[in-house]
Amino acid sequence: MQNVSVRGPEVPRNIEALDPVFTVSDLSVFYGAYEAVRGVDLTIGNREITAMIGPSGCGKSTVLRCFNRMNDLIPGARPAGKIFFHDEDLYGDHVDPIEVRRRIGMVFQKPNPFPKSIYDNIAYGPKVNGMKGKMDSIVEEALIKAALWDEVKDKLKQNALSLSGGQQQRLCIARAIAVKPEVILMDEPCSALDPIATTKIEDLMQELARDYTIVIVTHNMQQAARVSDRTAFFTAEVDDAGERHGRLVEFDETSRIFTNPSDKRTEDYITGRFG
Amino acid sequence: MSVLSTPRSAVRLASKGTPLREHVFRIALLSSLVIALGFLLMLLIYVLEEGWPRIDATLWENMPSIRRPETAGIQSGIIGTLWIIGLTALMALPTGVLAAIYLEEYADRTKWYNRVIELNISNLAAVPSIVYGILGLGIIARWLDFGFTVMTGAITISLLVLPIVIISAREAIRAVPPSIREGSLALGATQWQTIYRQVLPSAVPGIATGSILALSRAIGEAAPFLMLGAATLVRFNPEGVWSSFTVLPLQIYSFISQSREEFHILASAAIVVLLAILLLMNSVAIWLRNRYQKRW
Amino acid sequence: MAAQDQATAPGTSRSLARSRPRYGESVIKVVLMAAAMISVATTIGIVAALLEPTIEFFSEISFGEFFGSTTWGPLFNPAHFGVWPIIVATLEITLIAVVVAVPLGLAAAIYLSEYATPRVRKIFKPVLEVLAGVPTVVFGFFALAFVTPLLRDWFPFLDLEAKNALAAGLLVGVMIVPIVASLSEDSMAAVPNGLREGSYALGASKMLTSVRVVVPAAFSGIVAAVILAISRAIGETMIVAIAGGFKAVFTFNPTNEMSTMAAFIAQAGSGDASVGSIAYKTIFAVGSLLFIMTFVMNWFSARLVQKYREVYD
Repeated sequence: MQNVSVRGPEVPRNIEALDPVFTVSDLSVFYGAYEAVRGVDLTIGNREITAMIGPSGCGKSTVLRCFNRMNDLIPGARPAGKIFFHDEDLYGDHVDPIEVRRRIGMVFQKPNPFPKSIYDNIAYGPKVNGMKGKMDSIVEEALIKAALWDEVKDKLKQNALSLSGGQQQRLCIARAIAVKPEVILMDEPCSALDPIATTKIEDLMQELARDYTIVIVTHNMQQAARVSDRTAFFTAEVDDAGERHGRLVEFDETSRIFTNPSDKRTEDYITGRFG
Repeated sequence: MSVLSTPRSAVRLASKGTPLREHVFRIALLSSLVIALGFLLMLLIYVLEEGWPRIDATLWENMPSIRRPETAGIQSGIIGTLWIIGLTALMALPTGVLAAIYLEEYADRTKWYNRVIELNISNLAAVPSIVYGILGLGIIARWLDFGFTVMTGAITISLLVLPIVIISAREAIRAVPPSIREGSLALGATQWQTIYRQVLPSAVPGIATGSILALSRAIGEAAPFLMLGAATLVRFNPEGVWSSFTVLPLQIYSFISQSREEFHILASAAIVVLLAILLLMNSVAIWLRNRYQKRW
Repeated sequence: MAAQDQATAPGTSRSLARSRPRYGESVIKVVLMAAAMISVATTIGIVAALLEPTIEFFSEISFGEFFGSTTWGPLFNPAHFGVWPIIVATLEITLIAVVVAVPLGLAAAIYLSEYATPRVRKIFKPVLEVLAGVPTVVFGFFALAFVTPLLRDWFPFLDLEAKNALAAGLLVGVMIVPIVASLSEDSMAAVPNGLREGSYALGASKMLTSVRVVVPAAFSGIVAAVILAISRAIGETMIVAIAGGFKAVFTFNPTNEMSTMAAFIAQAGSGDASVGSIAYKTIFAVGSLLFIMTFVMNWFSARLVQKYREVYD
């Protein structure tokens, strides 16, 4: 665990001058009366990769799904506290969740291409968003950015379900890119993939971080260490009433989290003594 | 069952052979199924044999007649059935699919009125068809004053099959995995875009299967039409939706009610035609279902 | 509240507010809901169609006469309104049907769910569906023209009338076999495999596992299936009208011709009663009774189905 390579200081980025895309303050998420996540404060830096790690049930995916308001789709889910996207309250009255999702893309745990052609998978987002421009070039650009173009350029009319799992996941990334989002949220994007496909996605993330802000939820600590600039460590705590709540324990530069965490619980988790 | 297989090494665990009662039980189960389906087979053979002499061109060409059963036909019944089924498809299928979309994709199940709608649909699916006939008679024919017309019959039958269409369309929509919806919504598609462009195309084979089965139920219905004045031997084809009419099953009923042997032969021949239509529809439905089953 | 981070957004920076109006979405929702409400309107329509003539009926004929006497003949002169003969006939034919359908349907369900290979299932289930799709007028004809003569040949001592409750009940039974079989099989299929494996692990045979584990676990679903099948049998019209006849006699002997509630409605509704007459109103009074009986049973069955769904979901 100690010898994982950490995205080091050679990355030419001024990590101190954090330019926040999301500012989360005192966020709690309720499902009905149950408080799944309690009191999270977090900032997501522009064109950084932020990883959210922690044991299962710690609420990291729940927090991620607040960023593009996918939680709205779960009956009874309700956030308290504030999330600002730049300086706009993400849950403000005037905000349209559909507009939010157009600006903030998402990639899911299990690759979920539509049962259509590769081309139509990419073209779907731009079409429903009423984007102008030549569709062929939009599709090509998205596939190139997702490092999938060379593999599929001769079979764009083929059904996307004929691709391998890793290719399907990159197709889902390409699909998200095609609507020109500012942020890409990734919910354990590699957990259903083999190691080779995982490496490809990780490389792709590094590549994409030049243009996009990326937030990734992962079970895999090495992955967080390898790809992210900052890491948020979540855990589940049992309160006096015996209910489990997800809490943010520590949020820092990834190198710090993995070499010199300030919280004992973080240290236990990354050294494998817990979870 | 691999659990029951005999391990080769352990001689003492060797099977003593399946006990007799296991065999008897299994055979009893299988014969129950065979008996039930045997009725179907006997029925088919009987009507084919009885009706065979009358399965000819006159059956289609001629109108029903009380006086000449030897040459009487069933044309008005077939045309009437086509009218009713065509109109039912136009009315019940879109309505049923729209209602199914509402219940699966929009309805918040914590709201009492949505639960009332759901409970109501499952109850309607089991209301006897003769009661739908009373609905047609009391409300559509008399209160709305549509009379004993094709329109009254079609609306009545549409209401009768609507719950079946809704229930089967809901199942087809539910079979589309949630990940497809999430994927679409995460791209900034609206809910309706997601439904129209992703969910419905994936659900079409299932909806089509259910719709065909619902319509085949409508084709075989006779009881509601008894209440709607379609019982007599109608000797003309309907000219429009406000025309009076008969349907094939009811024509069969009126043949059966006659005591002369020729009418029973005629009824058998008409039944063969009716069953042939239904078997064809059933086969299409089953083929559709097998062809498009589970792509995820 | 507009977003002003010109520098950061790679695309255009714009507010998260709705960029274009989407009235369509709300219009669609209203249309969809209206479609769903048609089913509610149908129920209201049925109740409305039944209610007024039923009330009028009972203002002329007392409850006491309707439920308290055993001579039925609303279409005769003098008319009689003792409903018991047609209730008894309905229940008797339903009973015969259940005696036929429950063992056959249940056995078929156990076979399909526990014994049949996927290939066998793939052949039998569509055939069962075809049986379910046979029009009841066809079953009625078969009962009248084939089964009754056959029973007369085989059992001459029964003295079967040309139209009789026995043949009608038998075929109503065949008609509801697919309902019992397919709904029971659904609930058996919902029994988790762990239960079966647990039973096998204890050394139980397949028969024992089916009878002692699977059937009890699926019991509420099976009961729901049977209730639904019973309510179908109660409301069945064509078979009983064709093979059971229209003669309302207060008797328990199934070799006799007897008229069920549904058969009476069919007989009176197909033109023998003029609008507004007491005979016409009787159709609706009997219709109300039939509707209430099936409604109660359906409701009960739906509750049971809901219950077993909750257990294993």
